[in-house]
Amino acid sequence: MKITLFEQAPYRYLADDFETNNESVCSTSYSHTTRDGVYSSMRDFLDELMLGARAGFDGLAVTEHGQSSYDMMPNPDLVASALAYMTESEGLEVAIFPMGRSLGKAREPVRVAEEYAMIDVMSGGRLVAGFPIGLHYDASINNGVPPIEIRPRFDENLELLLRAWTDPEPFPWNGRFSQYPQVNIWPRPMQPQPPVWITGIGNPRTMQMCLERNFGFNYLSWFGAKLTGKRIFDRFWEVADQVGVPRNPYRLGFAQTIAVAETDERAEREYAAHLEYGFRKGLGSIPPEKLGLPGGIDIRGVQALLKDPGDFGLYAQMRHATFAELVDAGVVICGSPATVRDQVMEFCTEYGIGNLHAMLGFGSLPRDLVMKNIQLFAEEVAPHLRGLWHDSEHVHHWWPERLGGVPTAVTAGASATEGMPPEGVLTARSAPRAAVPAGAVR
Amino acid sequence: MTTDLAAPVISEEAISVWDGRLTMRIKVAGAGAPLLYLHPAAGLRWDPFLSHLAESFTVYAPEFPGTSVGDPYAIHAVDDLPDVVLVYEELVRKLGLHNAVLVGQSFGGMLAAELAATFPGLTDRLVLLDPIGLWREDAPVASWMSTPPEQLPALLFHDPTSEAARTLLAMPEDPEMARAATAGMVWAFGCTGKFAWPIPDRGLRKRLHRITASTLIVWGEHDRLVPPTYAQDFHALVADSRVEIIAGSGHVPQVENFPATVRVVDEFLRRGRAVTR
Repeated sequence: MKITLFEQAPYRYLADDFETNNESVCSTSYSHTTRDGVYSSMRDFLDELMLGARAGFDGLAVTEHGQSSYDMMPNPDLVASALAYMTESEGLEVAIFPMGRSLGKAREPVRVAEEYAMIDVMSGGRLVAGFPIGLHYDASINNGVPPIEIRPRFDENLELLLRAWTDPEPFPWNGRFSQYPQVNIWPRPMQPQPPVWITGIGNPRTMQMCLERNFGFNYLSWFGAKLTGKRIFDRFWEVADQVGVPRNPYRLGFAQTIAVAETDERAEREYAAHLEYGFRKGLGSIPPEKLGLPGGIDIRGVQALLKDPGDFGLYAQMRHATFAELVDAGVVICGSPATVRDQVMEFCTEYGIGNLHAMLGFGSLPRDLVMKNIQLFAEEVAPHLRGLWHDSEHVHHWWPERLGGVPTAVTAGASATEGMPPEGVLTARSAPRAAVPAGAVR
Repeated sequence: MTTDLAAPVISEEAISVWDGRLTMRIKVAGAGAPLLYLHPAAGLRWDPFLSHLAESFTVYAPEFPGTSVGDPYAIHAVDDLPDVVLVYEELVRKLGLHNAVLVGQSFGGMLAAELAATFPGLTDRLVLLDPIGLWREDAPVASWMSTPPEQLPALLFHDPTSEAARTLLAMPEDPEMARAATAGMVWAFGCTGKFAWPIPDRGLRKRLHRITASTLIVWGEHDRLVPPTYAQDFHALVADSRVEIIAGSGHVPQVENFPATVRVVDEFLRRGRAVTR
């Protein structure tokens, strides 16, 4: 199993009662901050990620969230590029995994292709390229994209980006959302094609696209894996069966918040308040109307969610969730190394997960405790998990070759947009050819 | 004037437009000269106002692309507002409507104004009910799409507890039908929002001067979604126009103050000119 250190960059010093007095964490007045607080939140975050690289994690993962206090990360590629150079100069064999630039949000898709290509070159071919479709408040409120255009924009931008990476010749692009007389990015990625991962929270259409097109699928389980895991992962593998691809655990990534200390009791004492901060002043304070804007969720998806909101797990209670509730729902796994590894091992085994994104910094957790969490996890937990799928017949096709992966090419398949006519964004204007030129296919 | 709320016989038509890529569905009722009604962002809902109009006109009420039951992905056939305006002009021709009265509410008001500005020959009588389409820094239009559902009634109505408001917002009792209706309304917001998000201003201000139709601008006195100050902007930009402010009403005057609204609309349609000459 591949294990990444996953962190967001929250502002760590919000007032205790923030969530009762503020509408959301994505419309937060900047007057809540101090200059020192912002600096240390960012500096500690970077130092912690570098500790993860030195401690032997397989990858470093970050996400994109504009205009938000729970993840001060308008462009994860800035952080990823710093990590790419730092780790390269220290000779650390670790994947750089922005999860990453949202293509439903991006209005400059060529720039996304360029940034990722830069990171791949700077890291010597260690980029794993994540693409969330687009969080509604981020794509639509922060970047003005009509919600109903998020998915069509994602589809078009992804085709453009894949071609910009792999077509050796300059080409014009006549898209619905962007037009370029010439696309000819320098540099191209070092890898023939960096592994592509899509982030999702349960939409079967997104799963189908990933499985048909040979993308990895990252499930970011903020909602409580004990409540949602079985639903989501069973659904994923059922779609895999329908598509007709093997149940290869390496195509599935799973993010889990984890807190390790010497004993269960000490873990609760040290981490509980910071975990509560992380979720009350994080996902719990993103109101539903910011997560689901009209048009952003397919009409049948809305109807399904109204009937059964189970995919959202503990979300409705999260603004005031207690530590015990977070643990019971599986939003967090907190305890001694033995407790944590047993739970994680059981979960990953049961659901066929081949990539664990361990979120070891969260909320207000101070630097020294994050460092401790990372160190303990790396020494006492990770070694027990890493061999999980070694004896299986499966090969990791969604990981850079330099880091032991056996990447395979992106293939044609379903788009992210339900009901797009065949003459829609994917084929009408530029009729992009197969994403990977023959010479690049292994 | 009648306030009899009994709905007339409503028939449905389907017209293929846009080189066969779109099938527009139209509800038709009444008799007499043609009247084209363009619905608001939440979709078409046949209400007493339409029934009233159908007593004097043949009312044609098309459903916006993507908002028809069973055809949600029609929205992908239109990319931008000029596409939509051309689709509606084509629809008017294919329906064979000559000089139809054009009435639009809110989002439909913007669309009606766009149609009348782009094709001045399409109508000589235009009624705009609390239209969107303009933007003022000092009185921003509220974002109905990002308003929490429980706060929408207070945004739409002066008195959200009134019977008229509650009737309009009522959902079917059957849970499955209620979910379908809610999902349909959310999707309708999404479809229309394609042409109004993030700021409901696609440049109409530049085009309003092209409108030659006599225009009645009706506004709820307490409209919190599009403040009544916008009535004066429309009036200043449309040459032959008149403003009627409806007391005791928010964003939907034909629902919240039906008698006053139909009184000014009827009078305008009888007289045929906004400004007495």
